Amino acid sequence: MSLLREVEWEPCLLERQPDPELTDELRKRHGAVSSSIAYFYPCRELADSLAGMGALHVTRATIDPLLQDMIGAVVSQDHSCRYCYAIQRVVLRAGGLSEERIRKLAEDVLTADLEPAQRAALEFARRVSRSNPLPTRAEARKLEEHGFSEMQVKEIAGVVGVSVFFNRLSTLPALPPAGNEELPDRWYARLFRPITGMMINRMRRQVPVTRLSDDERRGPYSQVICALDGLPVAVALRRCIDALLASDVLPLRTKALVFAVVGRALACDMSVQMGSELACEAGVDPAVVDEALAHLRGDGLTDAEKMLLPMARETVWYQPAPIQRRAREVRDALGPQRLIEFIVAASTANALCRIGAVVVDR
Amino acid sequence: MLEWILVGAFAGLAGVLGWVVVRWRGDVRELRRRLDVSASQLQNLQLSFSRFAPGELIERIINDGDQVRGQRLEVTVLFADLAGFTALSERTAPDVLVQILNGYFERMSDAISHHRGHVSTFIGDGILALFGALSPNPWQSDDAVHAALAMRATLAEYNRELEADGLPTLRVGIGLHRGTGIAGLVGSRELMEFTVVGRTINVAARVQDLTRQFGTDILITAQLRAKLDPRFAVRDLPATEVKGVKDAIVIHAVEGYDAPSGVAGSA
Repeated sequence: MSLLREVEWEPCLLERQPDPELTDELRKRHGAVSSSIAYFYPCRELADSLAGMGALHVTRATIDPLLQDMIGAVVSQDHSCRYCYAIQRVVLRAGGLSEERIRKLAEDVLTADLEPAQRAALEFARRVSRSNPLPTRAEARKLEEHGFSEMQVKEIAGVVGVSVFFNRLSTLPALPPAGNEELPDRWYARLFRPITGMMINRMRRQVPVTRLSDDERRGPYSQVICALDGLPVAVALRRCIDALLASDVLPLRTKALVFAVVGRALACDMSVQMGSELACEAGVDPAVVDEALAHLRGDGLTDAEKMLLPMARETVWYQPAPIQRRAREVRDALGPQRLIEFIVAASTANALCRIGAVVVDR
Repeated sequence: MLEWILVGAFAGLAGVLGWVVVRWRGDVRELRRRLDVSASQLQNLQLSFSRFAPGELIERIINDGDQVRGQRLEVTVLFADLAGFTALSERTAPDVLVQILNGYFERMSDAISHHRGHVSTFIGDGILALFGALSPNPWQSDDAVHAALAMRATLAEYNRELEADGLPTLRVGIGLHRGTGIAGLVGSRELMEFTVVGRTINVAARVQDLTRQFGTDILITAQLRAKLDPRFAVRDLPATEVKGVKDAIVIHAVEGYDAPSGVAGSA
């Protein structure tokens, strides 16, 4: 049993909207599709890119799948994401890791029974996910001394970014963790563990290093995306950013300001500059952008922005229950669609700032 | 006969070995249980410590002991002190005084942490709180002044409760300043705390002293004012000389926050 079960967690803010037709379509395109995606179906424009991001949990190009799963567990534990951690625990158990090893991993990476390279990778993952302060490219290079190639280090940073993304996507709307938390301790789950393990392994894919197209190299956060060139995470993130910016549930300017605010909270100049420029291109007066970044307020902001920008800042470091209560206020004021789109924007910015810190030279 | 003796000896030896193995397994199980309990306690301790120092710092302390290097940070310091507390302590029963004081500290700490501040230490009836020390915070000045306003509102509510119970009420003076300081573990081997030291702390404390002179409860320095949201209503006060600071300090009294409709005061 995990200590995370003690973490206060609000009732779920979104309703699942099952759509078997859409789910089948996404499954055909991306392979494995998490059942939780149905919570985000109110924003249909984002469903495809979210499924693509979700598929990254079982897709890799260069790193060991066990390390990928362990990073997911450590980052989720660090962010107190009960939902994601419960799923990672199910996967690790099915993959043959004993409950004791998982618990030790959750308790302390420093004392867990790990290979030196694994420990170094997990410590690095934790530093990237915590970003207090944002780590540097030099720290990423140190990981290469443990035998990881440059591409593997970038993929490790990508796995952290994907976990950071899904931690927010699950925690902010308080997706219910209970079922997955109890699952590994059920007698039938123990009985069928080898079969579950085989099924999970069947879903895993090791894809070849594939270069980005010219189109995929352009657009917001292109520095980060290009630095990840060759890895599946690069394409998934590009599609997620493009889908987010193309959707009109929230105005482009609002999403751009969210990118800038998250960037400022994390001291990520790239995100601040990119978000500010995008907001200005969308018609926001530069003085309004400056004021919003300086004080998270401004007479030139819309009512929705006045509510969302202070919350965007909170998505960087948070305790689950208070931020879930804040998300409830947003949902009640702006509706579930706008809440979803805000969460995706904030999650994307959080992931990209953290990845960018260690894959882009600053 | 010899065969039976050998069989008996062998059986005895096997029995002893079996007993040793069973005992050994029991000991291992017990050791593992104790280790698990210790690990769990350590983790709980680590979680508790995170309220007092940055997570990264705690890990460094675990790895390297308390020889952690200090670092220069830009922080906003809030210094709060109760006005007339000495006189109050002389005319109030000790248990009542402690009860009043604990109620005050609890409410003030909540107001501070709600606005992302961290109570560094309680000094007698005083509170030293830091903003931007545990994690980088570009909005630290706004947060600190919002916290001061929340403390004002919370104290007013607490005073109503005290009054209703027939107890003496409290008055607080709060001084705020923004500047650089050295953050780190400070103290002796027996008692250490994560705090910030330097001129910034002294200035905040001196500004807090001025609240009595100007008959107001929240004062900020010009350095903090320069970074503050212009929606905070402030009143300019004359530059004032204070002990230990070479130049006169430009200070402002904080009146309130002009929140636009539909937006909560907290950032």
